[in-house]
This record gives sequence, structure tokens and C-alpha cells, in this order.
Amino acid sequence: MDYQFSFPYIWGATPDLLDGLWITLIVSLLSIIFSVIIGVVCASLRVFHVPVLSSVAAGYVHFIRSTPLLVQIFFIFYGLASLGFGLSGFWSGVLALSLWGGAYNTENIRGGLSAVDKGLKEAAYSLGLRPIHYLRLVALPIGLRVCIPALLNTAVSVLKNSSYLQAIGVAELTFVAMDRVAMDFRTLEMFLAIGLIYLVIVLLLSTAVRRLETFLKAPFNTA
Amino acid sequence: MVNSMSIDQLAGSAISIKGLSKWYGDFKVLEAIDLNIDNGEKVVICGPSGSGKSTLIRCVNGLEEHQEGQIEVEGKVLEKDIKSISKVRAEVGMVFQHFNLFPHLSILDNCTLAPLTLRNVSRQEAEETAMHFLEKVKIPDQAHKFPSQLSGGQQQRVAIARSLCMKPKIMLFDEPTSALDPEMIKEVLDTMVELAEEGMTMICVTHEMGFAREVADRVIFMDSGKVVEMNTPENFFSNPEHPRTKLFLSQILDH
Ligand SMILES: Nc1ncnc2c1ncn2[C@@H]1O[C@H](COP(=O)(O)OP(=O)(O)O)[C@@H](O)[C@H]1O
Ligand SMILES: [Mg+2]
Repeated sequence: MDYQFSFPYIWGATPDLLDGLWITLIVSLLSIIFSVIIGVVCASLRVFHVPVLSSVAAGYVHFIRSTPLLVQIFFIFYGLASLGFGLSGFWSGVLALSLWGGAYNTENIRGGLSAVDKGLKEAAYSLGLRPIHYLRLVALPIGLRVCIPALLNTAVSVLKNSSYLQAIGVAELTFVAMDRVAMDFRTLEMFLAIGLIYLVIVLLLSTAVRRLETFLKAPFNTA
Repeated sequence: MVNSMSIDQLAGSAISIKGLSKWYGDFKVLEAIDLNIDNGEKVVICGPSGSGKSTLIRCVNGLEEHQEGQIEVEGKVLEKDIKSISKVRAEVGMVFQHFNLFPHLSILDNCTLAPLTLRNVSRQEAEETAMHFLEKVKIPDQAHKFPSQLSGGQQQRVAIARSLCMKPKIMLFDEPTSALDPEMIKEVLDTMVELAEEGMTMICVTHEMGFAREVADRVIFMDSGKVVEMNTPENFFSNPEHPRTKLFLSQILDH
């Protein structure tokens, strides 16, 4: 074993890695946004026991949580194509990650919404506000604040799980690393490099969300 | 024509309840309640815990569904569909034991939320109305604070102001002072007395018998889902007819 670790190699790979990082960030950002939207919609359907749709949302969550993400990705990329609804690798990836994160966010946000004091709903209703107003103006602003830590967890998982997309050829960070490894066999360098990059973006994401949480909670705390 | 209508309106019932019964599963919470409340009338409801007082007034604004009987509010029959219930609710203010202010909104925003959402008013108009009612409940200087920064008594007065911003014709109070420290009860009762003097139609579930004597036109005693006794405050307190009313009064007046 006379493996020679080479920092210059990493340096040389930087432009490729940056290209991969860019795709990872775009895919993750889109998926995180969509997964929160899916979570808000499905959690609301659940909490308000909307006939039929509430059960559909429950089934969707159950399905996503009980099957491997890689299978979901393949299903969307290859399965939909064979049905004639083929999507590019990029959009298959965004769709798969959004649906995956959306299922977890449905549960996260459902938790947040059920933590909202029942009395607030009665107060809102007795002012003449309708359920949709209550949801938009009272329950979501309060419930979403409550579940920010859980949403952050899921967002971090979405970001990390974007590396699965290398399996369908999306040129994100892990794909780039695998690609270089296949050419140059610099395994240690490449996987250390992308490991550190994932670590840094997860740290940045967590810090940003914590800041946001403190900022949003401020009015509650000034007792 | 217009005149006779407005006279009808004045003389007519604000709330008319006929044969109202309600069950929770097998448990009958309300049993054949008949009650008419005129415009401008103040009614105090008292009775032991679990007798159905809250359930009764929550039926009036449709927070609870009833199974039998009919409720008319300002001449409109309370239907089950959410649009018509919401319309009735906008005319009927409600104040709760635990205030239920929106914790994420400033006092001012608590007061403007419903008018801005439901009425065709500008933000400026809504805020002027809100400040008017906050002055009335004597806390205009707290308008930019958040609920958690206020005392219980102040929060309850904000809750009253928030309801008034929808310009309701009727106000329902469900034990508005029960969750308050003794020294804050008076400030809330004073606000309610003032409201009563201005002619608001009010139903108050309360055990504040001083308040009942001072403002009530009628006092109702409920027990086990039934209206057991209904009388003017004078007769109710000095000359209760029903043994259970006597027992109840002796219990609460002793304390
Ligand atoms: N959501 C509910 N489900 C079942 N029982 C209820 C519910 N709400 C109230 N009750 C019961 O109905 C009765 C009347 O309650 P309530 O109207 O709150 O009484 P009060 O306000 O006079 O104390 C009580 O016995 C209570 O336990
Ligand atoms: Mg009660």
C-alpha cells in the first residue's frame, strides 16, 4: 500500500467539483422548497380531515416512508419514461427528492399544526374567519415556527440524499467525484473532498435556519 | 315601510332558541332549551360546572353543532354550511376564559386581522377602528406589544376589543374572569359593564354575582343541560324558586 495522497489533485479537480456543487445546490434548493410546499398542503389536508384527500395524503406518506429512496428515484426516472412521461435526470431527481422530503414534511408540519392551541381556532372561527383563513393566518404561521427544527432535519436529509441522483446520471457532486475516480482512481482525495463540501453546506444550512428560527421566535420570547 | 322594519328589528329577538337539544355520543348535554333574548338585553347564565353553559352559548355561534331544535340569530336561522355560519359568527363576538389571543401577532394586528380579511376596509381604517376600541378598553398604549407581554386582565380586554372590531350586534362571554387573578377581575368587569351600558346584547356565563345584579336583565340557572330557573336578578337572588338554585346560590355566595 503506497497510496500517495495528493492535495494538488484535489486542487486540479476543483472546477469539476464546483460544477457538481452547483447542480447539488440547485437540485437541493428546488427540492427543499417543493417538499415544504407539499408538506404544507398534505399536512393541512390531514389536519382538517378533508374527505378523500386526507386519506390520499396519508397513503402517499406511508408509501414514501416504506420504500427505499433509490427505488423511488428509479421508478420516476425509468418507470415514468416507460409510461411515456419521461423526465430528464435533473427533473426526475427534483421530483423524487421533493416527494420524498414532502412526505417527511407532511408529518413534521402535521405535528406543528396539532401543537397550535385549540382555543385559537375557536377564537378565529368566532370572529367569522373560515377554516382556510385560520390555516393561512393563524395555524401555519404558528405551526411552521414550531416545527422549524424538524423541517431543517428533513432539508438536510434532502440535501444529502441528492447524492443518490448520481445513479440516474445527474451531474451533481457525488457523480462528479465518481466520474473522476473512474478515470484517475484518486478515491481518497475525491471522497474526502466531497465529504468536506457536504459537511460545510450542511453546517451553513443549519446555521441559516437557526438564525431564521431565532428571528421568527423573537416576538414570542419578549415576555 | 323602512320605519316599521326598524321597529320590528328593535322589538324583535336578537337570539331565539327553540327546542334545542344536543348530545355528545349518548350523553345529552342540552335538553330542550327554549330561550329568547331581545335586542339590547343582558342575560347572565350560571350553574354548576358541566351543566352545559359553555355548550349552550357555543351553539349560538355554531362552534358546536346541535342535533335538535332551531337557533335564530338576528333573524337568520343557523344553518350547517360554513359560509352561513361564518356570516352569523361575524355578527356575534365571543370572549373566552383563556383569552385566545393570536400569540404571533401584535395587539393591533390581533384586532385588525378579521376586519382586514372579511370586511372591505383599508388597513388604515382597520387600524383606526382597532385603536378606537383599544382606547375604549383602556390599553391603546399596548397596541404594538405582543400578547405574552400583557397581564391576563389586559389580554382579556384586548380580546374584547378584538371582538368589537367586527362591530358585532351580540357578545357572548364564557367565564371571562375565571382565569384571572383577583386583582384583575374588576378591570375586565368594568369593561363589560360599560359595554352593557352602551346597549350591547350580551350573554355572559359567569359566577360574578355582583356583575349579574348590576347589569343583568335576566339570570338563568342551568343544571344538567336544562334551564332550571330564569328570573330577574332581584327575584333570582332574594327569592330563588328551585331548591337546586338555592343550593347553588348558598354555595357560591358563601365563598
Ligand atoms: N367535546 C366534548 N365531548 C364530550 N363531552 C363534552 C364535550 N364538551 C363538553 N362535554 C361535556 O358536556 C357537559 C357540559 O359541558 P360544558 O358546556 O363545558 O359545561 P359548563 O360550561 O357548564 O361547565 C360536561 O359534562 C362535559 O364533560
Ligand atoms: Mg364552561
